[in-house]
Amino acid sequence: MTAPTQDGLLSRRRLTLVAIEFVVALAIAIVLFPFLWIFLASIKPPELVTEPNVWMFPPTAANWHDVLLESDVPKNIINSFVVSVATVIIALVTGCPAAYSFSRFKTGSGTRFSVLAAEMMPPAILILPLFLVLFRLGLIDTLAAVVLAHLTFVVPVVTWFLIGFFDEIPRELEEQAMIDGYTQFQAFYKVILPVVRPGLAAAAVFGFVLSWNDMFYALILTGGESRTLPVAIAGFWTFRGIDMGKMAVAILVAVVPILIISFFIQKHLVRSLGGGAVKF
Amino acid sequence: MHLRFRLILPLAAAMTVIMAYPLVFSAWISFHDYRLTRLQDVRFRGVENYAFILSDAPFGRALVNTMTFVAGAVSIELVLGLGLALLLQRLVRFQNFARAVLLAPMFITPIAVGLMFRFLLNSELGVIPYYLATIGVEIAWFDERLALFSLMLIDAWQWTPFMLLMFLAGLEALPKDPFEAARVDGASAWITFWNLTLPLLRPVILVALIIRALDAFKVFEYVWAITRGGPGDATETILFHIYKTGFRFFRLGEAAAMAYVLIGILMFLVIVLYTAMRRR
Repeated sequence: MTAPTQDGLLSRRRLTLVAIEFVVALAIAIVLFPFLWIFLASIKPPELVTEPNVWMFPPTAANWHDVLLESDVPKNIINSFVVSVATVIIALVTGCPAAYSFSRFKTGSGTRFSVLAAEMMPPAILILPLFLVLFRLGLIDTLAAVVLAHLTFVVPVVTWFLIGFFDEIPRELEEQAMIDGYTQFQAFYKVILPVVRPGLAAAAVFGFVLSWNDMFYALILTGGESRTLPVAIAGFWTFRGIDMGKMAVAILVAVVPILIISFFIQKHLVRSLGGGAVKF
Repeated sequence: MHLRFRLILPLAAAMTVIMAYPLVFSAWISFHDYRLTRLQDVRFRGVENYAFILSDAPFGRALVNTMTFVAGAVSIELVLGLGLALLLQRLVRFQNFARAVLLAPMFITPIAVGLMFRFLLNSELGVIPYYLATIGVEIAWFDERLALFSLMLIDAWQWTPFMLLMFLAGLEALPKDPFEAARVDGASAWITFWNLTLPLLRPVILVALIIRALDAFKVFEYVWAITRGGPGDATETILFHIYKTGFRFFRLGEAAAMAYVLIGILMFLVIVLYTAMRRR
C-alpha cells in the first residue's frame, strides 16, 4: 500500500467539508421551512391558503391588517408583555441576591441543585393548588394570576442562570472593595452588580422568553380580557373551524420578536447554561 | 443573621409561597375527594385516590404514551444534537450563522410549533404530505398508529437545538491536549470520537438527558394544538390527562394524586439515570 499523495489527502479533506456543509445546510432548511411556509400562508389570498402547492400568488396584506388592527391580538400582545415583564422583574429581585449568596458563600451544591429541581417540577402538581388559591382570592382571569404562576418556573431558571455569572467574577473584586471600607453587601450592590449587568440582561431576556412562551398556566388561569398571546393563537384553530391566514399572522407576531431577542443571548446561553452544567 | 442567609431570604419567601405551599396543599388534596363542583363537601379519602388511579386504565395508558414519547423524542434529539454539534464544530464558513439558525426553534412558543406542524402535516392542507404523495409516499401523520411518533418528530424539531446548545458548550470546554495527542498518534476520527470525545462529554450528556427528559414529560402544547389526546387515546399524555381530570371533569383529588405519582416516577428516573451514567 502506498501512502496517499498530498493531493489525495487535500481533496479528501475538501470532500469531507463539502459533505458537512451539505448536512448543515439541510438542517438549516428543515429549521427554516416551517417559518417560510407560515409566512407565505399569512400573505396568501384566502382562497389559496388551503392549496399546498401554490408558491406564486398576488400577495395580500388583508390578514395582517385584520389581525393587527381589528382583532383582540394587540390586547393579547399587551397582556403577554405585561405578564412577562412583571415576572422577570420579580424574578430578578428575588433571584439575584440569592444567586450571589449561592455563588460566594458556597451554600453547597445541594441548594444549587434544589433550585434546578424546582424548575423541573411538573406544572401539573402546582396548577391545582394555585388555581384554588387564586380562585378563593378572586384572581382567576387576571394577569396577576398568570404572573404568580410563571414565577414558579422563571424564578428558579433566572437564579440558576445568575449563579453561573457570579461564579465567573473573581473574588478579588469585592475583597478589594471591602478593604476600601465597603461592607460585603455594599460590595455586592455597588461593585459586583454593575459588573454582572450583561449577565442580568441575558437572564432577564431568557426569563422573559420563558414567560412569553407559556401556554399551560395561561390557558387555565385566563379567559376573555386577560388572555395571553399563546392562548389566543390556539384559539384560531378549534373544532369550530380554522382561519389559517390569520393564525399564521398571530404565530409570526408571537415568534419573530422572540427570535430576534434570543439572537442576542445565544452566546450567553452557551456559556452559562452549558458552562454551569459542565462544572455540575 | 449572616448575610448569606439574608440574601437568600427574598428567594426563600417567594419559593415558600409559590412552590412549598402549593406542594403541601396538593398533597392534602390528593388524600381527599376534592371536586371543583362540590367545594362545600370535601371528604377525606385516605389513599383511595392513589389506589383508584393505579388501577385506572386510562391513566396507565397516558403513562405509557408519555414514557414512549419521552424515550423516543429524547433519543432522537440526543443523536441529532450530538451529530450536529460535531459537524458545526468542523464547519469552516458560516459557523455563527448556522449556529444561530439551528438554535432558533428552542426559543419559540410550543403552541406555535404545534399549530405550524398541524398545518404543514395536515393530510388535506399540508405541503409535506402533498409533495410526499407526488413521489408516491402516502403517510397519514396523525392517524392512530403514527400520531405519537409524529409528535416525537415535532418535539425533536423544537428541542434538538437544546441538545445542540449543551453539546456545543460541552465540546468547547473539553481539554485540547488529549485530542492533540490522538492526532499525533494517527487515531482515526471514529476512534477519537468513541474513546475521547464521548467519555469526556459524559457529564454534559447526563445533564442534557436529565433536563430534556424531565421537560419532555411536561409535553402538553403539541397535544393540545394537534390531537387533543386522540385519535382514541393514542396521544393522551400524562399532563393532558391530568388537565382533563382536573379542569374538565373537576376531580381535583384524583388529579393531584396523579401529579404525585408523576413526581415519584420522575424522581425514580433521575436517580436511575444518574447512577447508571456515574457507574460506567
